[in-house]
Amino acid sequence: MLWSLDPELYFIVYVSLHVSFFSTLVASALGVPLGFLIAVKEFQGKRLVITLLNTLLALPTVVIGLFVYAFLSRRGLLGSLGMLYTPWAIVVGQVILILPWVTTFTLAAVSRIDVRYRRTAMTLGAGPLQTSLAIAREARFGILAAVIAAFGRVIAEIGIAMMLGGNIKGFTRTMTTAMALEHNKGEFVLAVALGVVLLTVSLVLNTLLQLLQGRYGVNR
Amino acid sequence: MNLYELRGLKQVFDDRTVLHIEHMALSQGGGHALLGPNGCGKTTLLHILAFLKPPAAGQVLFRGRLVDWREKSLRRLRRQVVLVEQHPIMFTTTVLKNVEYGLRMRGIHRRERRRIAEECLERVGMRQFASRPAHTLSGGENQRVAIARALACGPEVLLFDEPTAGVDVENQAAIETIIRDLRREKGITVIFSTHKRLEAAKLGENKIFLFEGKVSGPGGENLLSGNVVRRGGRTLCMIGEKFEVDVGVPIRTIMTRKEALESGILVGDEVKVAFEAGAAQIRPRDF
Repeated sequence: MLWSLDPELYFIVYVSLHVSFFSTLVASALGVPLGFLIAVKEFQGKRLVITLLNTLLALPTVVIGLFVYAFLSRRGLLGSLGMLYTPWAIVVGQVILILPWVTTFTLAAVSRIDVRYRRTAMTLGAGPLQTSLAIAREARFGILAAVIAAFGRVIAEIGIAMMLGGNIKGFTRTMTTAMALEHNKGEFVLAVALGVVLLTVSLVLNTLLQLLQGRYGVNR
Repeated sequence: MNLYELRGLKQVFDDRTVLHIEHMALSQGGGHALLGPNGCGKTTLLHILAFLKPPAAGQVLFRGRLVDWREKSLRRLRRQVVLVEQHPIMFTTTVLKNVEYGLRMRGIHRRERRRIAEECLERVGMRQFASRPAHTLSGGENQRVAIARALACGPEVLLFDEPTAGVDVENQAAIETIIRDLRREKGITVIFSTHKRLEAAKLGENKIFLFEGKVSGPGGENLLSGNVVRRGGRTLCMIGEKFEVDVGVPIRTIMTRKEALESGILVGDEVKVAFEAGAAQIRPRDF
């Protein structure tokens, strides 16, 4: 099925990648700076914020699905936008799902960075922004790992895609929703083919990360 | 005019005063050695002198002007003073790019940046390491690259936190020579902390001894060894053969052979006595 270039299968893969890419992009754009700020700034209630973020890591996808559905349904607050059962509704739900992931793992990656990097950048004449960039550069592999983990989380996610996307053929059907459907129908060939694609995507991403670490990493 | 002047300086960490200097002046162009045991406040003082950490209280004057500890004005000051840490950390890139870092922060053009960085590496004998990943260097090499990195910024003041700590003898000698040459050729003011009196004597003409966060005397000459004895019904600290101090007068003792001081000084203990600078008075025995 994979080699016969089945258009249905390839469209499902395209929708999955497309939706996962945008939700990871938005979550990273928000979560990386947020995690960085929480790591480097000292403020009252910091521990509480970290505890809340850690709690949000365990947020079930169906809860997010229900929550976002309540807002996007026709009678919901944002019902007029007509986003429900579109790929963008899945993106909104997935951003909520992985934002705590990206934030928490960025926070962890930056917190591990030696304080001497900050002092060194400052004594060598770096301003606050340049100092932050120097720290972020040192934490880059941790941050990249956070982004890749978040991408892995959304591409393998099913609850939000099903509840907010509606599993509409040729429109919002993703790899995971298609696999669930095919399994219910007793059609295992497409389900297995999609499983292979899903694992391949994960393998490619992790290989890429390993290559980057080997090329520029600290083990060299 | 003094390069630095510290007035009523205090640094507090977790409600503990780690540094308390009533007054200290450091002249320009000299070599100033900060001596003292571990935890006496040398590194804390260096961080304040490098404008990296504001004091909890007190004033710092740099070139006669009061230091404004707001981030905006500190950047200008930091570009005149560079601190080389005890164990310098390198950015995970090449040696050359590490040395170029300060110049990049100052907006120096790429070609000029490279020329200065190579020149500085040449000066510390590390030119051949330019393209090496910086984190693969040994302790001594790391310290030399850190000096080159600081030097590339063209500072007027160089601060060193124990520049030869954990470095082999060969590199120790090389680092000391580099620091001496920098002072002689470029007229850079060097302020450094050290445990080693010989190093302090070699690199600095002004010695400041810190003890428990306070300036205890010029160079620690007021730190004397003595023995606690019982004589004529009194407990005395004998220093040499003729000088005796009543144990009970406000002297501070450090470094006992036995760690018995918390419970009181015991007869037979060998102690070191530190006098407050300017506080000691010599009076006739029967006064």
